[in-house]
Amino acid sequence: METTQLPDEIKPVMENGVPAEVSSCSADGIPNTTIISQVYYVDREHVALSFQFFNKTVRNVRENPNASVLLNDPYGYACWILQVRYDHSETEGPIFDQMDMQIEAIASATGMTGIFKLKAADIYRVDSVRKVTLKRPSTDRS
Amino acid sequence: MAQEGQASTTDLEERLAAKAREVRVLQQVSSEINSTLDLDEIFDVVLRTMDELFGFHHSMILLLDATGETLSVAASRGYGSQADGATVAVGTGLVGVVAKKRQMMRLGNLGRQRAYVSTIRQQMEQAGRASELSESPALPGLPDVEGQIAIPLQIKDTLIGVFFVESVEQRVFSERDEALITVVANQAASAIHNARLYRAEAERSSELAEAHERLKQLNETLEDRVRERTLELHRANRELRETQAQLLQSAKMAALGDLAAGVAHEINSPLGSIHSNADLTKRVAAVVREALTDETAASVVSRYPRLEQALQSLEQATATTLVASDRIVRIVKSLRNFARLDEAERKKADLHEGIESTLTLLQHRLKRGIEVIRDFGELPQLVCSPNRMNQVFMNLLVNAIQAMDEHGTITIRTRLDGDQVVLQFADTGHGIPRENLERIFDPGFTTRGPGVGTGLGLPITFRIVEEHRGSIEASSEVGKGSEFTIRLPIGE
Repeated sequence: METTQLPDEIKPVMENGVPAEVSSCSADGIPNTTIISQVYYVDREHVALSFQFFNKTVRNVRENPNASVLLNDPYGYACWILQVRYDHSETEGPIFDQMDMQIEAIASATGMTGIFKLKAADIYRVDSVRKVTLKRPSTDRS
Repeated sequence: MAQEGQASTTDLEERLAAKAREVRVLQQVSSEINSTLDLDEIFDVVLRTMDELFGFHHSMILLLDATGETLSVAASRGYGSQADGATVAVGTGLVGVVAKKRQMMRLGNLGRQRAYVSTIRQQMEQAGRASELSESPALPGLPDVEGQIAIPLQIKDTLIGVFFVESVEQRVFSERDEALITVVANQAASAIHNARLYRAEAERSSELAEAHERLKQLNETLEDRVRERTLELHRANRELRETQAQLLQSAKMAALGDLAAGVAHEINSPLGSIHSNADLTKRVAAVVREALTDETAASVVSRYPRLEQALQSLEQATATTLVASDRIVRIVKSLRNFARLDEAERKKADLHEGIESTLTLLQHRLKRGIEVIRDFGELPQLVCSPNRMNQVFMNLLVNAIQAMDEHGTITIRTRLDGDQVVLQFADTGHGIPRENLERIFDPGFTTRGPGVGTGLGLPITFRIVEEHRGSIEASSEVGKGSEFTIRLPIGE
C-alpha cells in the first residue's frame, strides 16, 4: 500500500516508536543510516526530524533531499517505511517549540542538557508511506 | 453493504455511549471538586478520580512555591511515601519543562528512550567526552515509567502548579486521555485557586478577628492602664517631692553643721578662758576663805562686815559661772554631735547619744512644761548614718512637742528585740484621728495650717528608716497621745 497521506494510526507510533532509523544518500551516492530520537507528526503530508548534531544525515539531505524513515511499532508488530523529501528547516514556531520542549524534558531528566539540543526542525514532505506487518511469534509451544 | 452500514451505526452508537459516560464522569468529578474549599479534599478527589475512574494509578499534584523556581509535591497517589516533600526545579524533567513552558506535554516509550540515552552516554564515554555528561537529577516518579503526561495548572496566565500522571504501561496515554486529564486538571486548578483564596480570606478574617479582639481587650484594659499610669505618676511625683525635701533637709543640716562647727570653734577658746578663770577664781576664793579663818584675819574681817558678803557673792558668782560654762560646753558638744559632719556617712553609732544630743538642742522647748522619761535598754552600737538618724529623732520629738502644746510627757523607750533595735517615742498630746493615721507618711499631708508644717517631716522619717532597712509604725488615740515605733535590724 502506497500513499502520500499519513494515516491516523501512525501518530501513536511516532510518539512512542523511538528511536527511528533514517537513511539518506550523499550527492555522490554514499548511503548513510542512523538512529534518530524524534520523528514529529506535522500534518498528513509532512513530518519533522530533529536536527541536533551536524551529522551526515543533515549534510546528505541538503545535497540530496530524498530519504527514508523506518518507524518501529513493537506493540503492533509492524514497522512503517516512509519515503520523504527534505523541504526546509525551522528554527522557531510551534513545531520547533514542541520538539524542543520534548528534547529539553528528556535531556534535563537524564543529565544530557547541552548535548541533546535542537538546532532545527527539519521538515520533510511525505512521498509515500508503507506499513509492513510482522508475523506475531507463536505462543503455542507444543 | 447493509452489514457494513449496520456495523458502522453500532460503532457510532458505542462511541456515543462511551462519550456520554465520559461526560457524566467529568460532570460528577467537576461537581465533587467544586463542592469543597478544602485543599486536601480537592487533592484527594482529583487523584482518586484519576485512579478509580480513569485507571491512572500514579499521579501527583505539584505546586509552585513563592519564588517561582521550585515545584513541591502537594499530594500524590500510588507512590507511597516516595513523593512526600519531593521538589522539582522549574526547567528540569517533564514537570519542570511543562512549568517553564506552560504547555501540556506527554512522553511515551520512555523505557526505549532510557536505553537510547544510555547508548549515547556510553558512546560519549568511549569517545572521551564523559566530562560533558552530568548526573541525572533525582526527580519524583516511577523508576520504570513508560508514559508520562504533565499539564500546567493555570489560572488565566498565572501558573500555580503541575498535574503529573505516569504509567508503567506502554502506549498508555492517547489524545483522548490527554483531553480527559486536561479537563480534570483545569477543574483542579480552578478549585485549588478558589480554595487558596478562601484560605487566604479565612486567614485574613481570622487576623482581623484577632486584631479586633486585641483592640477590644486594649479598650477594656485602657481605663485600668490609665489608672495604673496615673498612680505611677503620683508615686513618681511623691518620690520627687520626697527627694527634693531630703535635699533641702540635707542642705539645712549641712548649713547647721557648718554653723555649729564654726560656733563651737569660736566659742571654745573664750569659753576655755572663762571656765579656767572661773575655776581660778573659785580656788582663789577658797584660799581667801581659808585665810579669813585665821584669828588675826578674823578680827580684821569683823571690822569689815561687807568683806564677808563680798566673798560670798564672789563664791556664788564663780559657782554660777562654772555651771553656766559647763552648760555651754555641753551645748556645743551637742551641736557638733547632732550635725556629725565630721563623721563618715555610715558608721557604728550609739543611738542613745543621738537621742540625748537632740534632746539637748530641744531643751529650750522642753523645759517649759514637758517631762521627758527615758526608759533606755541596753543597745549595741548600730551601723547607721548618725546624722540621718538624728533627723529622725528631731522630727519625732518636734512633732511630739507640738502635739502636746509644749505641756505633757514624752516617753522614750529603747530595747533590743532579737536581731532588731526597737525605739519608741510616745507623747501625751492630742493624738491623731483614725482617718489621718494612714496618711501621715504621705508627702505633703499635714493637719497644721499653711506655713506651719510642710507635711514632709514624717515622710522623710519614713524614707530614712527605710534606707536603714527598718520599719516605722504609728499608733494613736485622740485625746490620749501617739506612739511611733521604729524597728532597725542590727544585721551589719
